[in-house]
Amino acid sequence: MIQRLLPFFALIALFVILAVVSPNFLTATNLASVVRQTTVINILALGMTMVIITGGIDLSVGSNLALAGLLGSMAMARYGIPAGLVAGLITGALCGLANGAMITGLRISPFIVTLGAMGIYRGLALIVSKGLPVSDIPPAYSYLAEGTLARVPFALWILAACAVVVHVILEHTRLGRYAFSIGSNPDAAYYAGVPVRFHTTAVYTIAGLLAGLAGMIETSRLMTGQPTSGQGYELTAIAAVVIGGGSLRGGEGTVLGTLMGALIMGLLANGSDLLGTNPYWQQVIIGGVIILAVALDELRKRRTSA
Amino acid sequence: MLLVLKHIQKRYGGVAALRDASLEVQAGEVHLLVGENGAGKSTLMKIVAGLLRADGGDFLWQGKHVQFRDPAEAASRGIAMVHQEPLLAPHLSVAENIFLGREPRGPLGWVNRREMTRRAASLIEQHRFPLQAEARVEKLSPATKQMVQICRAIQRDAKLLIFDEATASFSDAETQEVFRIVRALRDSNVGVIYITHRLEELRAIGDRVTVLRDGANVHSGPLGELSTDELIRHMVGRELGSTYVRTPLLPGDELLGVEHLTREPALHDISFSLRAGEIVGLAGLMGAGRTELCRALFGVDSISSGNIRIAGRLPCLRSPEDAVRAGIALIPEDRQRHGLTTALPVSHNLTLAGLRGVCRFGFLNHPAENRLAADYTARLRIGAHSSRQLAGQLSGGNQQKVAIAKWLVRQARVFLFDEPTCGIDVAAKAEVFRLMDELARGGAAILMVSSEMTELLQVADRILVMREGRISGELPGLASPERTTQEQIMRYAALHGRGAAAGENNE
Repeated sequence: MIQRLLPFFALIALFVILAVVSPNFLTATNLASVVRQTTVINILALGMTMVIITGGIDLSVGSNLALAGLLGSMAMARYGIPAGLVAGLITGALCGLANGAMITGLRISPFIVTLGAMGIYRGLALIVSKGLPVSDIPPAYSYLAEGTLARVPFALWILAACAVVVHVILEHTRLGRYAFSIGSNPDAAYYAGVPVRFHTTAVYTIAGLLAGLAGMIETSRLMTGQPTSGQGYELTAIAAVVIGGGSLRGGEGTVLGTLMGALIMGLLANGSDLLGTNPYWQQVIIGGVIILAVALDELRKRRTSA
Repeated sequence: MLLVLKHIQKRYGGVAALRDASLEVQAGEVHLLVGENGAGKSTLMKIVAGLLRADGGDFLWQGKHVQFRDPAEAASRGIAMVHQEPLLAPHLSVAENIFLGREPRGPLGWVNRREMTRRAASLIEQHRFPLQAEARVEKLSPATKQMVQICRAIQRDAKLLIFDEATASFSDAETQEVFRIVRALRDSNVGVIYITHRLEELRAIGDRVTVLRDGANVHSGPLGELSTDELIRHMVGRELGSTYVRTPLLPGDELLGVEHLTREPALHDISFSLRAGEIVGLAGLMGAGRTELCRALFGVDSISSGNIRIAGRLPCLRSPEDAVRAGIALIPEDRQRHGLTTALPVSHNLTLAGLRGVCRFGFLNHPAENRLAADYTARLRIGAHSSRQLAGQLSGGNQQKVAIAKWLVRQARVFLFDEPTCGIDVAAKAEVFRLMDELARGGAAILMVSSEMTELLQVADRILVMREGRISGELPGLASPERTTQEQIMRYAALHGRGAAAGENNE
């Protein structure tokens, strides 16, 4: 049990160390910037948690985010903010649905399908935009990423709402139960008459919807629709899930763990910025932390199973 | 004497696979090894071939005590095993497979391909194998693949060849070809051990026979002195394991009707029906198609033709999802893989098939689920601390109860039990039988596949016997005053229709 809480302790330790070492860490401006930087990744990671629980993976969320953000901002430039938001969310969900349909329909591994989809969605974003960013977004739209509600960044409210919804889906719905069951033993789920294809597709669709939402927040943060945004986000999201105790073998993962995993990585990046660490070293440190986290988790599992 | 095995013992965990097995094989003889499923034939041969180590007993090879570390050592000493599923490299040629790991080398250590092909061709020529040295192995039929294995063994100067159910899936012509080669090997002074389930094959090929039963020898001697009836008597005669007695019920309406079900190539023209309150046994040897039948009825495998009627309707069974909706339940043979999710709690396993029952608008009703799980855990006396314990931590018998209870929660009506007592202890067996009886009394129809004939005789109202994908016979069970014997079942399971009938007439 103590080791299961390891991400939590690591997060607190990191927080305390940074507070002591850097005088600029515990300021409202800095903490708000950490939140803004990590919200997008966090929302992607929530969808990724569900996908990884089913034993799958989604490499296309970064591209999906870009395509959704781009189509959303184009719609927004023409028809206003609500239409843009809806367009972005629908784009994200459709991309996820396409992933799920290909995985279950063609019986190809999620890794391959989403690797291909990663290229397709990114390419579509570049084709539609001719490689140029969309910049005529209504100024009021910056509220989504930069505004505050009750002195808390608005993006944090969105993240909290998403976290609660995903947690409820995983722990309190049939979809969540089936997701765990499919990830733990797909054969047993199939032999128990679980509609494996439908629920797998549903999970990828939700992950796509969340990627669309993340794309709209990213658009608000940048105030442009960038066809090149979100590159490499899928790997950061996967890392967050894994640091938070999710298993790429499926059947394991929690919302709280993923949030902590994403925050740990956010704080590491922020801390190295504040301490003036060479940014090249940041990547080395974060990479090392990912491997260390998974190694400790494996150790725990081996001990409990022995 | 080429090979002498005396009092060999082998245990897997708490189960004795071999208690006291002995076998003597001379050079230049074909020695048959027969016995029921689970008698220990394969275990004994794996010990000889270096795949397993004996726990006790003497193992003499060419007069010397040996204990092989691995199959490579056994092979280097001249022992080769011909597997039912040939272990070959499919993308390589016949010649390359024959010389795999022992390729003739050129001066710089390169493989001398021309020399290899030439030597393979002359080997094939010499033994008149229907093979071509340069053909790619993946394009060959299973029978010719086996010949490649035999070639490989001969190339390595094997002194003893073990055929484990080698011809189980072959046509008559292919079988004859393998027999011709086996006889040729015998004439060139090679020893052959031949395991088979097909009793009519025996006389075409064997010189002497050893019968194993429950991991020990029951008979060993020249084949000519033994009638088929005597042989069958030696093979069965297993003692009754427990004293479970079931009283049959008066069966109700038909719940499952199967008509002319065919699935190429495993199942042919299968027809039978199950009525409410009935437990029907399904006997047969390994590979007879029993598991395939269960899979087809459960929608895992599609059927080529025929009808499956459930309670008078003809549902479309294209997946287990459809089958479960129609009220069919499968308790699969491989529990850990198909029957339950070991990494999830008992309660989640119990409600997996019937999750809708504890859901409202897609949301789980946790208190209702916990009550249900606790209720079934107590009712079936599932040995778990609580229903929150992980299913993988339970004993085999308790895991089986969870796998069954899942379908009680779902309220299935047609139950397919595939080897329900495989790997569970005697006490748990009796409880599984009790549970099946309870289900039948509650109006369910049960098909029970078992390799343990004693079990079928204890539990089943009727016994269907399968052989080579067909129902070869139906025998009365508990419901009838005349008692079916294990010999009768074995005859239908192991002999051609004609042989079975002739055997009946002899009595």
